[in-house]
Amino acid sequence: MNNKNPNICFYFQVHQPYRLRDIRYTEIGHRRHEDYFDHQKNHDIFRKVAEKCYLPANALMLKMLKNHPEFRISYSISGVFLDQCEEYGKDVLDSFRALADTGQVEFMAETYYHSLSALHSLPEFCEQVSMQANKINELFGQYPRIFRNTELIFTNEIAHIARLMGFRGILAEGADHILQGRSPNDPYIPPNFYLPDENYWNVINKQFPDSVPDKNIYVLLKNYRLSDDVAFRFSDKSWIGFPLTAETFTDWLLENHGHNINLFMDYETFGEHQWADTGIFSFLEQLPIVWEKRGIKTLTPSEIIDEWENRIGTNTREQEDKATKEATSMISALSSLWKRPKDTNTPLGKFEVEKEFNAHTPVSWADTERDLSAWSGNEIQKAALNAIYELEHAVKASNDPELIKTWRRLQTSDHFYYMCTKYWSDGDVHKYFSPYDSPYEAYRRFSHAIHDIKLRLNTHSSVSNS
Amino acid sequence: MSLRSLMFGWEYPPIHLGGLGVACQGLVRGLLRNGIDISLVLPHPNPQAAQELDIIAPTPEELERIIVTSNLKPYDSVEEYAHRIRAIESHEENQIYGEDLAQEIENYTAMSIDLTKNVEADVIHCHDWMTYEAGIRASAHHKKPLVAHIHATELDRTHFHPNPWIYEKEKRGFLHADNIIAVSNYTKEILTGHYGINPNKITVVHNGNNKTTAELGGALRTEYRQKRGPMILFLGRLTVQKGPNQFLDMAAQVHKYRPDVHFVMAGDGHMLGELIHKTHALGLQDNVIFAGKVSNTEAQKLFAQAECFVMPSLSEPFGLVALEAVAEGTPVVLSNQSGVGEVMNHALKVDFWDTAKMADCVLTILRENVLGSQLRSEASHILKTLTWENQAKQVRSLYHKILDRC
Repeated sequence: MNNKNPNICFYFQVHQPYRLRDIRYTEIGHRRHEDYFDHQKNHDIFRKVAEKCYLPANALMLKMLKNHPEFRISYSISGVFLDQCEEYGKDVLDSFRALADTGQVEFMAETYYHSLSALHSLPEFCEQVSMQANKINELFGQYPRIFRNTELIFTNEIAHIARLMGFRGILAEGADHILQGRSPNDPYIPPNFYLPDENYWNVINKQFPDSVPDKNIYVLLKNYRLSDDVAFRFSDKSWIGFPLTAETFTDWLLENHGHNINLFMDYETFGEHQWADTGIFSFLEQLPIVWEKRGIKTLTPSEIIDEWENRIGTNTREQEDKATKEATSMISALSSLWKRPKDTNTPLGKFEVEKEFNAHTPVSWADTERDLSAWSGNEIQKAALNAIYELEHAVKASNDPELIKTWRRLQTSDHFYYMCTKYWSDGDVHKYFSPYDSPYEAYRRFSHAIHDIKLRLNTHSSVSNS
Repeated sequence: MSLRSLMFGWEYPPIHLGGLGVACQGLVRGLLRNGIDISLVLPHPNPQAAQELDIIAPTPEELERIIVTSNLKPYDSVEEYAHRIRAIESHEENQIYGEDLAQEIENYTAMSIDLTKNVEADVIHCHDWMTYEAGIRASAHHKKPLVAHIHATELDRTHFHPNPWIYEKEKRGFLHADNIIAVSNYTKEILTGHYGINPNKITVVHNGNNKTTAELGGALRTEYRQKRGPMILFLGRLTVQKGPNQFLDMAAQVHKYRPDVHFVMAGDGHMLGELIHKTHALGLQDNVIFAGKVSNTEAQKLFAQAECFVMPSLSEPFGLVALEAVAEGTPVVLSNQSGVGEVMNHALKVDFWDTAKMADCVLTILRENVLGSQLRSEASHILKTLTWENQAKQVRSLYHKILDRC
C-alpha cells in the first residue's frame, strides 16, 4: 500500500515512585527494620491513580485493540511501578498483561528504578536496564528491543550505550534546539561516537552477554506539539484548540509529513492529569475509528523502524550485518565497530546520509528547558545526587539485598524532582506533583535516609571486620 | 494635584521592638516615592525629643508630621499599660497620662482629631486598633474614606484568648473602614473567620523590607562560631505570641544530639522570668543566652553569627523579622502560622506546636552545609521584589480605587 500518511506511534509512560516518609533525625541509626518509605501514602496514591487512570484506561485500550486489530500502542513501565503493582495492585498488573496478550502492544526497556543512573554510573545503569528488561520479559513475554531512558534523557553517549546493550531504537524528545528546524517525524541516528573508554564494553557485556549490537541505533523523536496538545492542553479552556475532537486532531496530524508521528506522554494523562469528565477517554476511543477511515496506521516503535528500513532500503547494511555475524570471533568484530577507524577517508555509507540527531549535552522532555535542571538545577539537588551515587561501592560491597534495593529506590528521579526550586516564582507543575510541603522538606527526608544508610554501612563493615 | 493621606501611625523605634514601627516607616517612605503626600500623626511621650528622631521627609509639604503627646505604645496590653504608667508617674510627676489604657487612647484620639482638623486629606489611613477610633472620627469629620491597616490582631497577641474590650475596638474599626489592608492572607482569614468581616473589603498587601539592594549580601560569618560553637537565634518579644516556650522545647531536643550548640534569645517581655526557670529545668542554662533588648546593629550581628534563625510564632500576621534574617543571609525556620511564609519560599516551615520537627529542621541545617548555603543564597531574592516601593504601589492603587467609588 502506497500510503503517504505518516504512521502514528503511541507510547505511554507508566511510573510511580516510592515516596519518603517523615523520617526524623532521632531515628537515624536506630530503626534497623524499618525502611524509609511512606507505605500508606504510596498505597493511597497508587490506588487513587489506579481507579482514575490505570484500570479504566487499560480497559478502554483493550476494547480498542480488540475492535481494531490494526491498532498498536506501546508502553514503558518502570520496575518500581511493577513492584508497586505486586504490593498494591495485582488487578492493575493483570490488566497490563491482558494488553500484552493481544500481541498489539510493545513494551520498552528503561531503568528499573526510573533513575538518573545513565548520567552517574555506567555499571549501575547497565544493571538496572538489564533488571528491567528481564522483568518485562518475565511478566509480558517479550524482551524489549527499544530503550527509553528516564524522562527521555538522551545524549549521544547514552544512545550508543543502548546500542551496545543490543537495542535497535531509543526514544528522545524532539527538541527544537537540536532539530534546528528539521522535522521530528522521521527516525534519526546519533552521530558516530567513540566511547571514551574501551572498558565500557566489558561493563555493558557483563549485563548483556548475548548482545549483538547493530552498527547504528534509531532515535525516535517525540512530536512534542501534538503530544502536548493531548497531554497538557486538552482541557485548557483558554486554548484556541479547545474543545479538541478526534477529527480536528487528525486534521492536525495530516498536516504533518514524514514517516512517523510519535505521540509520547505520561499514561496518567488519561483520567488523572485530564480527568474523565474532560472527555479524554471518549476522545481516545474515537481516534482509531477516525484513523481507520482516513487511512492512518498506528505502529509500535519496532514496527516504525522495520517500515523505515524497508522504505530506505538496507541492502548495504544487511550485507554488512551478515559479514559481522559470520565473523569467527564475535568480540573481535565488535571491537572493530568499537575502535576509531584508522582510515578516516572511508567513504560515507548509507547510514551517514541519514538525518543525525546530535545531543552533545543531555536533552530531556521536562519543562521548557528540556535539560536536566528539573533534577540537578540547584545545590541541594546536586548534593543529594552526589550523596546517593557516592555510596554505590559500599552498598554493593555489603551484599545485603534489602539495603541494595532501598538504595536503588532512593535513586528514583522523582526524589530529586521534588527538590526543584527553579519555577517557584510562578507556582509551577513541580509543586503539583510533589507529595511534600516544599523542596526543602524533600531534601530533609532524603538526607536523613542517606545518613541512615551510611550508618548501616558502618555497622556492616564493623561486623565484617570483627 | 497629588493625593494626601492622613495617616495615624507609629514611630520607628530606635531599639528593636517589633514590626509595627518598622512597617509604618517603610510604608510612609514607599508612599512618598509613589507620589502620595502624607500627614503623619505620631504619638510620642515627649514632643520635643520626637523632633530629633529619624525622619525622612523630602519637604515639609510632602510629609507633614504631627506629634501627639501620648504615652501609648503599640504592644501594650491593658495590664502592661497600667503597670508602666505607675512606674512613670512616680518620678515624672509633671506629665499627665491617662489613668488607664482606655483613658489614654481617648486622650490621644481627641488630641489627634483636634490637631488634624484642618488637614486637607483625601483618605484616612490608620494602623492597628489603638488608632482606629481616631481614624473613624477623622473619617467622619473630613468625610473621607477610611483605610484600616491591620498588622496584628488581639487574637494573635493572646493566642486566641482576647481581651473582649480590645477585640470590640478592633471590630469597630474593621466595620467602619471602607477598606482593610491585611498584611497577609493568614490575617485576612482571621478577620473573616473570627471577626466576621466581609472578605471583599479586605486587601492583602504583604509588608516590604527596608533594605536597599546595596545593603544586601554583605553578611559574613564571624569568628563567633569557631570560638563558641554554632548558634541558633530567637529574636522577638518574650510573649506567648512569639513562641519562646516552643523555642526552648526545640533547643532541648537539639541539645540532646548537639551539645555544642548555643541558643540566643534576644528580646524582652513579661515571660522572661518563667523562661529563665524553664531553661534551668531543661538543664540548658549553659547553652541558652538571654540577650535582652538589642539594638538594630546588635540584631544584625546576631543574625550574621547564627546558623539559623527560628521564628516559632503561635500566630504571626506577618513577621518582618524573618525578612531581616534573610537580608543578613541567615537560613530561616518558620512556623506555618505566619504570614511571611506566604512570600518566603526558601525557608523550612513547621507547625509551631511540632517542636520535634522544628528541632529536626535545625539539626538538618546544622548537618547539611549545602542546605544552609542554598537557603542563604536563594532566600534573599525575595527582597528585591518585596520592596516598600512596590508594596506602597498596591496601597496607592487601593486609594485610587476607593476614591473612585466614593
